[in-house]
Amino acid sequence: MPMAMDDTEQQMLVQWCMAAQVFTESEFRQVIQRTYNTEEEEMEEIQPVVEQINSSMGAFSLELRSCMDQTTGTRRWALVNTNADAISTGATPYSASELVTLKTLVVGVFTEKMGNYSLSLHDALRIATKRNGTVAGTLTRAETESLIRKFCSDGWLATDSDDGYVVLGDRSIIELQSFFNVGFADYIRLCSLCKEMATLGIVCMECMEAVHPYCANRLMSASAGQLSCPACNKHIPQLNKFGPGERGVPHALESVAGSVRGESVAASVRGESVGVEEPATQSIKRLCIEDSSDEE
Amino acid sequence: MEEESQASERTATDLVRYALACHASGKPIRRENLKTHVLGNTPTRNTRPLLDRANTLLTQNFGLKMVALPSHEKILTNKAPTATAATKWVLQSTLPDAARQRLELAQTEDQQAILGFATTVLSLVFVSNMSVPVDQLVLYVRKLGPPQCIATAADTRETAEYASDAQMESAAREAIGYLLRQGYLDKVKLGASGGGEHGAETQATQASQLPTDGGDRHDEGMMYTWGPKARIEFQPLDMARFIATATGQECSDEFVKTIGRAYGSNITASQ
Repeated sequence: MPMAMDDTEQQMLVQWCMAAQVFTESEFRQVIQRTYNTEEEEMEEIQPVVEQINSSMGAFSLELRSCMDQTTGTRRWALVNTNADAISTGATPYSASELVTLKTLVVGVFTEKMGNYSLSLHDALRIATKRNGTVAGTLTRAETESLIRKFCSDGWLATDSDDGYVVLGDRSIIELQSFFNVGFADYIRLCSLCKEMATLGIVCMECMEAVHPYCANRLMSASAGQLSCPACNKHIPQLNKFGPGERGVPHALESVAGSVRGESVAASVRGESVGVEEPATQSIKRLCIEDSSDEE
Repeated sequence: MEEESQASERTATDLVRYALACHASGKPIRRENLKTHVLGNTPTRNTRPLLDRANTLLTQNFGLKMVALPSHEKILTNKAPTATAATKWVLQSTLPDAARQRLELAQTEDQQAILGFATTVLSLVFVSNMSVPVDQLVLYVRKLGPPQCIATAADTRETAEYASDAQMESAAREAIGYLLRQGYLDKVKLGASGGGEHGAETQATQASQLPTDGGDRHDEGMMYTWGPKARIEFQPLDMARFIATATGQECSDEFVKTIGRAYGSNITASQ
């Protein structure tokens, strides 16, 4: 069990986390070890370190959070901002139009109607360059491609191995949990084994619970290659997959024809009037800066 | 009184949050933006204590402090910036050197490329008595080859290998423009640079020997020198060590003296 960190050790770790942005748990263990300056290669227990950092970072609306790679099980960490108010968004590195494009793409990926949490590159370019009534002017296709690359480089988005699909990056999954919970709760899938958000995996058509590919492999290893739903114990054929390039399993609300809620969310993404403002629109606006006076 | 004290602490905490957000974005912390986003209607007399408290919180929790960026006028007249006159700040680490070295702060490939490029360009300015004519620096950067990640124009990024003369010139100017915007370089009029008078005359002689075709007219008589960010982030002795490493030489006292002569001033261990 590691001793409590002194001030310099904690400052070192926090600076490293800020510079690294998103890092694996293994890298985190190694840097904690270097900070304590002992001979062991990696620190075994990191939870006390995480708790100590979070107890002092909370006052500044910062928190160390993690998510699991849904295919490999590798855990990734980031020191994230938990309060998207005017103070933190006032110094965004993005311009007003770039923020609108990022919001459009993140929401577009997350609410993709087949529940695949991905957009083809073609669709991503199309919806991002479409005129948005709240922002004057649009981006060209070339500018949008360049922006998508920038968003991927910054961790908000990612492309799959073939570069054919745009998906959520680690940073979005770790940092935007509150945003998704408040505005898009109906689109959230949790893995029924590890209870973390699932944007790719397999759906049990009996109870509509999802399982990550990594968690499904763990289940199959423990039961001689058979995959049973952790929630209802029914056998899950691996046909009902969702993720980039898969057939997909639509979310429940998308299956209801003319669903008011689904349509109003989709309309808000398109920038159309929705009458009563949905919580989704309010949280989208919190993420956006439309005052370009901070642009340098 | 207690409410006032709690309100001040909240404002100082918000100041820290804003400073960290600017730091993460690679932007300086500007006084006018502090007023807009954090201080609001806070009386001016309270600003100094709030900044001090924010600096204390930054140092205690993050090992960072706000350092005033010298204005362009202060660079040219070599005056130290005063705390009350500062309009821009950046965050600087307060960790001891040994701790920072143990950390091996992670950088992306792009960040490493930009840092390497900026350091090399600044070293060229450093050994030229701290000022280089515009066209001369463009030539240097063309030979150096700017990192691809700086190029924003698709044609300069995608076709570097087969770039025409005009594209290479454009890429070099774009890269120098990037360093200007980041605050690593400053463009000054001949004779107003940080270098000595003798240095400026030497540069003027060199400038007159440069080819004049293709250069912008408004660049005539203009020089590049170190910008405010370079003066905060790079120290003369560190620059001497970098030059020694880059040229494969030992950073002996004699070497430092030689570099100091090119810099235009003695370089001491305390710098």
